[in-house]
Amino acid sequence: MGEFIKVEINFSRCTGIKGCGGCVRVCPVNIFVENGSNPAVILENEDECTLCNLCVGACVHDAITIRRLYEE
Amino acid sequence: MRLLEFESKAILKKYQISTPRGRVFTSPQELSIDSPVVLKAQIPIGGRGKKGGVLEASTTEDARTKMEQLFSRNLGGYRPKKILVEERVDVAQEFFMGIVYDALAKAPVVIFSRDGGVDIEELVLRKPEKVSRGRFSVRSGLHQYRAREIVSDTGISGKQLLGISAILSRLANIFLDFDATLAEINPLVLTGDGQFMALDCHLEIDDDALVRHKDLMEIEKDMDRVESERSMTEFERKAAEIDALDHRGVAGRVIEFNGSLGLIIGGGGASLTAFDAVKAHGGKPANYCEIGGNPSVLKVKELTKLIVSRPNVKKIAVIMNVVSNTRVDLMARGVVKGILEAGKVPAETVAIFRVPGAWEEEGFKILSKYGVPYCDRSVSIDEAARMAVENSSI
Repeated sequence: MGEFIKVEINFSRCTGIKGCGGCVRVCPVNIFVENGSNPAVILENEDECTLCNLCVGACVHDAITIRRLYEE
Repeated sequence: MRLLEFESKAILKKYQISTPRGRVFTSPQELSIDSPVVLKAQIPIGGRGKKGGVLEASTTEDARTKMEQLFSRNLGGYRPKKILVEERVDVAQEFFMGIVYDALAKAPVVIFSRDGGVDIEELVLRKPEKVSRGRFSVRSGLHQYRAREIVSDTGISGKQLLGISAILSRLANIFLDFDATLAEINPLVLTGDGQFMALDCHLEIDDDALVRHKDLMEIEKDMDRVESERSMTEFERKAAEIDALDHRGVAGRVIEFNGSLGLIIGGGGASLTAFDAVKAHGGKPANYCEIGGNPSVLKVKELTKLIVSRPNVKKIAVIMNVVSNTRVDLMARGVVKGILEAGKVPAETVAIFRVPGAWEEEGFKILSKYGVPYCDRSVSIDEAARMAVENSSI
């Protein structure tokens, strides 16, 4: 689990890998992984997040939130 | 990574460059000869002949005795574990050819001399007309015609020109194919029977490109390859493993010292500057290391954890020059996380964090949250080193 970054997927909005899968494709540091038909966050990779927001931009249903835990 | 002579020659042979007949030995008992030979210690340093690392022998008994001598010698800090035994070649003429990367021109540069052998650097000054240079593109390689131009600039013509330029062109292919930073044949000889042959070869491969050359990577891992006077410590070996965790950036090249101030310092000149500054202010470094090229949080974390876990390390100083491609926030994450995972308190463990540059606002937010003392670019490396030494003695 991330000490500094928390990446959250809102599964009530996410349409899954077949419906979108954008987050898994665009993340340059492999934070997302395919977990059956849904994307999942690799918790031990969360702190590698570069805050590039490519996943946020790729997610057409605004299902991804990136939290900076050190600001909370 | 510097390849040993026999390893380099194996590559030359693949590119149809002739070398003397020879074999590598690890003990004198296996050796038996029926003609004069040259015994060459396989160590990764230059000027081997002058240090007594190359001997000649004419009989099996003589060769075995000399091989034993070579195995027991300390040659420039190395003790050979392998001896290359080669047929003695009838040399009519010697040449030099080398390729290095010209960082200013951003292109490989060829240096050719019609005189080979030792002290080639002095020859360039004494007889510049015997030496020619030429650059080539990494995209197109060294064309035959360009190789001929470079060789003919030293006054060589006819069959010699064709033979030497063909070898030069192949050496350029080796340079590019193996991601070399240096490829040198010295001497290239013309034998009594009119054949060109590489008597010695020196290849250095870019460490960061080894991932593309799995076979060379395996060679490098071979602990029986060379034995240096000072072998890697366990701490240094673990640091090297951390650096190899992934391809992103550098977080390694660690050298162990016995001080109490752990150092996580920027690569190249800045790390040497920071190290010297710490020493100049009376600090006692626990290690030297190099960080740069935007290493992953994982690598910085693991290296920090390794350094702060050493029993003699009381505090660490994180000092880099103004960074552009390395991100301050990712460095801060790695350092803080490494300290936390080692079971220590970041505010009490970091003497100073001086890494200004890209994403520094974000990095400073992290450091503030954990109470880590930090400074920006208005504080020089020297001043940061002074603060580190002062804070580490509290």
